Amino acid sequence: MRRFIISLVAAVAVVLAIGGAVVAGSGGGSTVTRARLERSLPTEFANLYAAQATMLGHRGVTPASLHPTAMCDKGGAVEPDVGPGSNWNCLVSWTDPDNPMPPEGYGKFELDVHTNGCWTAGGPSKLVGFATLTDTSGREVPNPVAEFDGCFDPNGDNSPTGVEFPSLLNVTTTALRPDAQRRVAVQATCGTGSTGCHGSVTATAGDTELGTVPLEVEEEQTATLAFPTPVPAGASEVTFTFHVTQGVGPSKPVTLEMPA
Amino acid sequence: MSTTTLTRPDAAAARASGGRTSVGLGAAVRWEARKLRAQLRTKALLVGALLAPVAVVVVVSAQSRPPKDTLFGRFATDNGYAMALLVLGFASQWILPLVTAVVAGDIFASEDQHGTWKTVLTRSVSRSRLFWAKVLVAVVFGLVALVLLAGATIAASLVVVGQSPLTGLSGQTIAPHAALGLVAASWATAAPPLVAISCLAILFSVWSRNAAVGIAGPVVAAMVMQLVGSLGGIEAVRPYLLTTPFEAWHGLLAEPRFTGPLVDGVLTSAVWSVAALAAAYVILRRRDITGG
Repeated sequence: MRRFIISLVAAVAVVLAIGGAVVAGSGGGSTVTRARLERSLPTEFANLYAAQATMLGHRGVTPASLHPTAMCDKGGAVEPDVGPGSNWNCLVSWTDPDNPMPPEGYGKFELDVHTNGCWTAGGPSKLVGFATLTDTSGREVPNPVAEFDGCFDPNGDNSPTGVEFPSLLNVTTTALRPDAQRRVAVQATCGTGSTGCHGSVTATAGDTELGTVPLEVEEEQTATLAFPTPVPAGASEVTFTFHVTQGVGPSKPVTLEMPA
Repeated sequence: MSTTTLTRPDAAAARASGGRTSVGLGAAVRWEARKLRAQLRTKALLVGALLAPVAVVVVVSAQSRPPKDTLFGRFATDNGYAMALLVLGFASQWILPLVTAVVAGDIFASEDQHGTWKTVLTRSVSRSRLFWAKVLVAVVFGLVALVLLAGATIAASLVVVGQSPLTGLSGQTIAPHAALGLVAASWATAAPPLVAISCLAILFSVWSRNAAVGIAGPVVAAMVMQLVGSLGGIEAVRPYLLTTPFEAWHGLLAEPRFTGPLVDGVLTSAVWSVAALAAAYVILRRRDITGG
């Protein structure tokens, strides 16, 4: 029995040593890459979107007519775009005259990708609808593009697709909270994208300019933009105007009320 | 059980003609198969392989929410082909290694357990012929169990859940006729890693001389490989794991189809099988059995 245990321990040690050497020699060697996802996701999405169009009775939608493209990113700017995980985001753009893209030109899909090259994607409900839909015969059926599974070839084409989309800047502050000197700040989130969000923001309260601060937010990060000039006592609201040079900002100025 | 040799005419003839190595492999295989058939466990396993999938299919298809967390689970409650693939994904993780190990892990160790090595080896069959006969019987048993499981699962899925066009892993629609071929082919791709697991079980069985280790060893090894294969950061070891070939069928359901993982899987399974059998053979050849 002792000999058996010794051989078992020796076998495990050999396996660990070989495994360690393989891992060290390849530097991780994940087959889950951005390029493979960017090819796999749009292909499957187009097939399923065309199926959804048939269910809804929309005519003239074929996988080829959609011209889908995708840009995928794992974990924002701070993480390399390789390896399995549930923090993959893919921006997908397609052409459907009945369902135009939002101003930024894409919809965001959230993906959970496994080591074997299989993934589960959740689509943006604004563009693809909710989990169920009502088909032409009036039945409630699962929406094929709300959530779907796919697998890509782990040895498939890994050359970059070159698809890039700008990040979308969103103002997340809904109510201003001025400090003791009546100075204000807004929070902005920069979404998944290739460039991050760069530019400047100008705040005005009535006729008073509160200042212009630079906007430097990496993708999938949040920043607080504080303005140096206090809001005049009579002003009831503050307007923030975004000049975004990289990324897509709010097209119209954002106006927030001062608390009474 | 080994006394049955005496009654077999070819074995008796071989003995009469002289040399203790003169019994053919065929006779040794027939004799091992007969020992296997006499075991209640073997019969129970084969009957289970036929009936368990039916129960699983009925229970899963009765769920109000489909099991979306597994591949094809999304469609399993209203598409028989998806159900058969869902069961394949589950079976290849847990059931197939266990089913084949129950026989392959025991086939050598049972001789130790019953103290019958001396008996079988003094009866005109060489050690290496006995080894290959046992290997052949264990591997064929694993394959028979796989065929029964596959057949029962596919038949039950199609009867209970029904046949409708299947949505593949690239979102393409697969017509029922083509889907049946792909589902059957997907089940067939489990054969190479299953053979490799059988060989691993044989190695554990020979090495440990203990049926419990022979059966549990490969099952635990498969579970560990499953876990290691699903971890990020160490994916470079995936091509060498025996559990990766069990997932090679994904490529058959994609459009365009990819068979790279299938070829790699066959290669990986072959290397594991050969290595395990070679080690088992050496251990058995070098063992001192005179003590009984």
